[in-house]
Amino acid sequence: MELLQISKKGLLDFVGTLVAGPLDIIGVVQKDGRFAYDKLDDARSLRLDFDEALYSPKQFLFPPKEALLSYAPKDPASSEPVYSEKPQAIIGIHPGDLAAIAMLDKAFTKVNIDAHYCARREKTILVGIYPTKPGAYRFTSSMIKPQEPYLAADAFLVDLGNDSYAVEIVTDRGKEFFSTSTATAAEADAKAKAERMKTAVKDTVALSVKRDDLPSFLDGKEHHPVWEARAAKCFSCGSCVTVCPTCYCFDVLDELDLSFEYGLRFRTWDACVLDPFAVCAGGHNFRKKPADRIRHRLYRKQKFLLEKLGLAGCVGCGRCKKACVPDIAFPPDIDNDLLGKGA
Amino acid sequence: MCEGCGCQHQESLYMPKTATLVRTNPLTDKDRFFEFKLDGQDLGHKPGQFAEISIPGIGEAPISVSSSPTKKGSFEMVIRKVGKVTSAIHDLKPGDAVGVRGPFGTHFPMDELKGKDLLFIGGGIGLVPMRSAINYAFDNRKNYGAITILFGCVDPSQRLFVDELKQWGALQGITFMETVDRCKEGEWKGNVGVITTLFPKVKNAVNPKTAAAIVVGPPIMYKFVILELRSMGFKEADVIVSLERRMKCGVGKCGHCQIDGVYVCQDGPVFTLESISHLVEAL
Repeated sequence: MELLQISKKGLLDFVGTLVAGPLDIIGVVQKDGRFAYDKLDDARSLRLDFDEALYSPKQFLFPPKEALLSYAPKDPASSEPVYSEKPQAIIGIHPGDLAAIAMLDKAFTKVNIDAHYCARREKTILVGIYPTKPGAYRFTSSMIKPQEPYLAADAFLVDLGNDSYAVEIVTDRGKEFFSTSTATAAEADAKAKAERMKTAVKDTVALSVKRDDLPSFLDGKEHHPVWEARAAKCFSCGSCVTVCPTCYCFDVLDELDLSFEYGLRFRTWDACVLDPFAVCAGGHNFRKKPADRIRHRLYRKQKFLLEKLGLAGCVGCGRCKKACVPDIAFPPDIDNDLLGKGA
Repeated sequence: MCEGCGCQHQESLYMPKTATLVRTNPLTDKDRFFEFKLDGQDLGHKPGQFAEISIPGIGEAPISVSSSPTKKGSFEMVIRKVGKVTSAIHDLKPGDAVGVRGPFGTHFPMDELKGKDLLFIGGGIGLVPMRSAINYAFDNRKNYGAITILFGCVDPSQRLFVDELKQWGALQGITFMETVDRCKEGEWKGNVGVITTLFPKVKNAVNPKTAAAIVVGPPIMYKFVILELRSMGFKEADVIVSLERRMKCGVGKCGHCQIDGVYVCQDGPVFTLESISHLVEAL
């Protein structure tokens, strides 16, 4: 992997050029005292020193509401697929969120390739950044392996602490992307320093179970009293799913324009913890109890997706802990409960 | 090759083909029969599979195919009016168009079942996908041993394919029995009671060592039927079920149809009992 180095001023100037160019440039900005991903209008608003962004950048690859087809009403032969045309670059993604994108890549393209996801993904450059501050509830190193963010990243930044960033070039696209910047070959000691800085900020929380042991750890715990105990406090509001960088379940709905001349078929984010998620025609709810929905969510995070895709459905960002009002959604707490350690 | 995730590009999974409604008629107060025709091609389904039927501007719904693939040129469905999509489909007239995606999912393993006796157990609209396999077996009669069909529904007004049921009952070498859960006085001359009340009447005629059971019905039916089949001596590998779930996308993405970690639209809806016995949400 090629290693470059760029001064902080050089990166700011580079992002300034990009913002004025044809790509949508997405990055973390500060809004009302919180960090959030947004389209940049001014390079100076880009923050790379954030602890954790409110949402992951998932929304720019898998939007909360996305058109799949356009059509004339009641005329299936008029259907046309709708694809995103807008090229974009997301600059400043923590390793956990990149591992989440690697998981989404697999979910949407391992079998039955989803061309709508791919249309966005193909036009998106992903630039990672190793965190410079601890997250409030981060346990990423318990959930991902160090190489997994590199399955999705085109390039990775490491703050060297000396007013410059190391730039790891991961893909040809990443190389091309930084080719117009002032980044130059890294200084002799930069590689060793970058490796130290990558692990300098420690996780705040540690999972009590090794990631690869999670599927077997959860086997046979489907009827554990922890699910009912937590369900008693659950509002089934879906906040844990909404902030999750890996959740990708969706609903499909049709909407007609007020002219009644054309319409769109959309997909919208959905959440397995919501009451109607598993309701079938005729009204039978196959996951009626909140306890069953809470269990399903956790099993999906820590077992089902790991077994199916080889990457976990949880990347240890800790957002669900912050989002959950009764504080029942945090996977490390649930695992501790299951171990009898208390949350 | 996609430069983002390295995948091979494909057309949209959500694009429907266009089918035309050939004929439709009511079967019960809420179920209608539909025959659809795709332009110049067969649906290409196998018995037990489903397709997503849509009306642009209204929405899309997963519907079981009811005709056997041995019937060429068109395919048949029975659609219960339960929501806005199915209500709109009920309003269609011959010549109207619908969108079709699929066929999707697993199918009744009719090739693997060759040489076996077949015990079909259908409850309510479970008969709809089962009819695809029954007619397939009839059209390939020499491939299968004794065929026994048990069908139960809530009351006589909910019987489906009434003319066909009459024919099945008259066929040589086929045992066909029906029951209704309840009926008004004088309305029904046959068996009254849940479907398991038919089991004592066929127990001696069905050999669990040479037969496979194909079971499709409402969720409550499976538990009792499977208990009966176990007590008869059926092995779990010889009990084949089709499970209903909310198969919204049909392509293993949207998540609604999952049983534990299994996507029913991909790995189902047809399963052997053996393959789902470890899943806590299956039955």
